[in-house]
Amino acid sequence: MSAPIDQAVWTNLIEMTGGDVEFVDDLVDTYLADGERQVAALREAAAGGSADDLVRPAHSLKSSSLNVGALDLGALCRALEESARTGKVPDATQQVTAIATGFDEVRSALLAERAERAAG
Amino acid sequence: MTPPGGNGASLPGRILVVDDTPFNRQLLARLLRGLGHEPVEAVDGRQALARLRDADVPPIDVILLDIVMPEMDGYQVLAELRDDPALRHLPVIVISGVDELDSVVRCLEMGAADYLPKTVDPAILKARIASSLARKRLHDAEREAVDRQAASNEVLAIMSRSAFDLQVVLDAVVRAAVRLCRADYGVAYTLDGDAYRVAASAGGTPELDAWERDHPIRPGRDSLVGRVALIGQVISVDDVLADREYQATPGQHVGGYRTLIGIPIEEDGAVSGVLALTRNEVRAFGDGERALAIGFAEQAAIGIANARLLETIERQRGQLARFLSPQVAQLVSSPEGEALLAGHRREITAMFCDLRNFTTFSESAEPEEVLGFLRRYHATVGSLVVEHEGTLEHFAGDGIMVFFNDPAFQDDHAARAARMAMAVRERFVDIGDEWRRRGHVLQVGIGIATGYATMGRIGFEGRYDYGGVGNAIILASRLSGEAAAGEILLSQRTFAAVDGQVAAEPAGERQLKGFSRPMPVFRVTAGSGGDLVVAETATAAEAS
Repeated sequence: MSAPIDQAVWTNLIEMTGGDVEFVDDLVDTYLADGERQVAALREAAAGGSADDLVRPAHSLKSSSLNVGALDLGALCRALEESARTGKVPDATQQVTAIATGFDEVRSALLAERAERAAG
Repeated sequence: MTPPGGNGASLPGRILVVDDTPFNRQLLARLLRGLGHEPVEAVDGRQALARLRDADVPPIDVILLDIVMPEMDGYQVLAELRDDPALRHLPVIVISGVDELDSVVRCLEMGAADYLPKTVDPAILKARIASSLARKRLHDAEREAVDRQAASNEVLAIMSRSAFDLQVVLDAVVRAAVRLCRADYGVAYTLDGDAYRVAASAGGTPELDAWERDHPIRPGRDSLVGRVALIGQVISVDDVLADREYQATPGQHVGGYRTLIGIPIEEDGAVSGVLALTRNEVRAFGDGERALAIGFAEQAAIGIANARLLETIERQRGQLARFLSPQVAQLVSSPEGEALLAGHRREITAMFCDLRNFTTFSESAEPEEVLGFLRRYHATVGSLVVEHEGTLEHFAGDGIMVFFNDPAFQDDHAARAARMAMAVRERFVDIGDEWRRRGHVLQVGIGIATGYATMGRIGFEGRYDYGGVGNAIILASRLSGEAAAGEILLSQRTFAAVDGQVAAEPAGERQLKGFSRPMPVFRVTAGSGGDLVVAETATAAEAS
C-alpha cells in the first residue's frame, strides 16, 4: 500500500491556501474530528445491518479524504458508498473495519507531518 | 496556482456554501474569501433555504450546493428554489464528485446553472463562480431597471392622482427613494420659517423618526441638511464620523447612520426642502443612485409647488367661505335649511360688479401683479359683503356677484345693494389711484337689478354653490357690462325700491343682450363725488 497521504494533493492543498499552514492545521483538525464521527456512523450502520445508513457517512468521508490527499481511504469509501447504494453490502463489517484502519493511518500520517513541520 | 487574496475576482459576491461535510465547507469558504467573495455557510438544504429566506441575511448571489446531505438533499433544495419566485433566479452550482455525473445531469435538468468537481480546484472554482455571478448581476440589473421604472411610474401615478396632497406625494417619493437608492432611512424636509422640518420619512425606527421630527435643522455646515440648504447643491458625506465639520447629533446615535446624501428640493432657485438618504454602513451612494435621488427630489419639488398653488386657492376659497358663512352656515344648519337649499322663489336684489380694462390689465401686467391686485380687490369687496350682509354668489376673476334678501330676509335689500355698490366704488377710488400710478387704469362698473329668482343649491355632489336663476340676475350682469368706469346702474325695479333712500337719475333706455325690449336704466348719483356713503338713510336724505 502506498503512503496514506498523496504528496501531490497535499502540496496542492497547501498551495491552495496560499501556504497558510495554520489554516491547513485547522482544516486537518476539522477533517479528523468529522472523520471520527463518520467512522463511528459507519460502524453503527454496519452493526445495524442497514445498507442505506452506510451511504451518507461513506460519501462524506470520501469527499473530504480525497481533498486532503487520502486517496486510498477515499477509494475505500467510494467502494462502500457504491455498494451501499445498491442496497446490499454483504461484507459491510469488513469494509468498515478497513476504512477505520485506513482512517487511523491517515490520522497518524497527518499528525506526523504536523510534528515534523513543527520540529523542522 | 492563484494565490488567494492576490488575483481575486473583480466582482465580489455573497456565496452560500451548502455542504454537510465541515472540511468541505471550511475549505470552500477559505478559497472563496481568497477570491474576494463573502461565503455564507449552511450544513444542509433546510438550513440553506432558511438562510435564503431570512430577511436578516444579506441577499445571496450564488449557491454552491452539495447533493448528498442529511435533512434535505440537493435535489429537494433545487425543487424548492424552482418553486419560489423570489429565489428561482439564483444561480446554483452543484458540487459533485467525478463519479456522480448522473446526479449532475439530473441537477442541471432541475435548473442548476453549473457544476463543480468535488476535488476542489481554485482555478475552476474561480471561473465557475465568476460566470454565475455575471449571470446573477445581469439578472439583477434587469430587475433593477424594471424596478426603477415601476417605482418611477408609481410616484408619477400618485402625483397625478393626488397632485395636491403634498403628504401623499412626499411619502411616495421618500419611500421610492429609500428603496431604489438602497438607503436605510430617508427623509423629506420642508422649509418652515427658518428651519427645515421632517415632512415625510421612510425606513427609520420610531425612535429615530421621533428625534428627527423634534429637531428642525437650520442652514449650517454642521449637518447634512444644513449644508444642502446653505449651498443649494447635492452633498454627499461618505462617513459622518470621519467628517470634521459634521456634528454627530443624538439622532445620529439613535439612527446609527454613517453615509449620507442630501439633495436640494428647489423652488424658484430657493431651497424649499431637502431629500436626505442615509445608510447605516459606510458605503457611498453611487452615480446611478445619486441621479435617481435627484429625480425624486425634482418630483418632490413639483409636489411642493402644486401644494403651494392649492394653498393659495384654498386660502381664497377660505376667504369666500368667511364672507358667506353667517347666512349660509346658519341656513344649512336650520331645520328649514334643506328645503331652502332644495330651491325656492323669492324677490331678490342682485349686484354684479366687475372691472373695466381688466382684460387689458391682465394681459399687460405681470401675473404676480394681477394676483396681488385681485387679492386686494377681493378682500375689499369681501369685507363690504360682510358689512352689508350680502350673500356672495361667486368671485370669478374680476367679476363678483352678490345677492340681497336671500337666504336671510332683508326688507331694504335694494337699498343695501345700492349702498354696498357705492361703498365699493368709494373704496375703489384709492385702489384705482394706486394702480393708475403704476400705469394701469382700473375702474369698477356695477349693475344692480331687483326681481324674482329661484334660489338654492346649484352644482353636484361635492361641489355645491349657493346661487340663483332668474332675469334679475342676468339683468344685473348686463347692467354691470353697460356701466362706464365708476358708474352704478340700476334696473327700474331697483330704482323704484330705493327711491327716497339713494339718489339716482334716469340714464336712458338700453338694448341689452338677452332682453327683447330696450330697458330703462338709472344711474346712482349719490356718493359719486367721492364722499363715503355708509349711513343708512341719512345719506339718501342728504343726497336727495
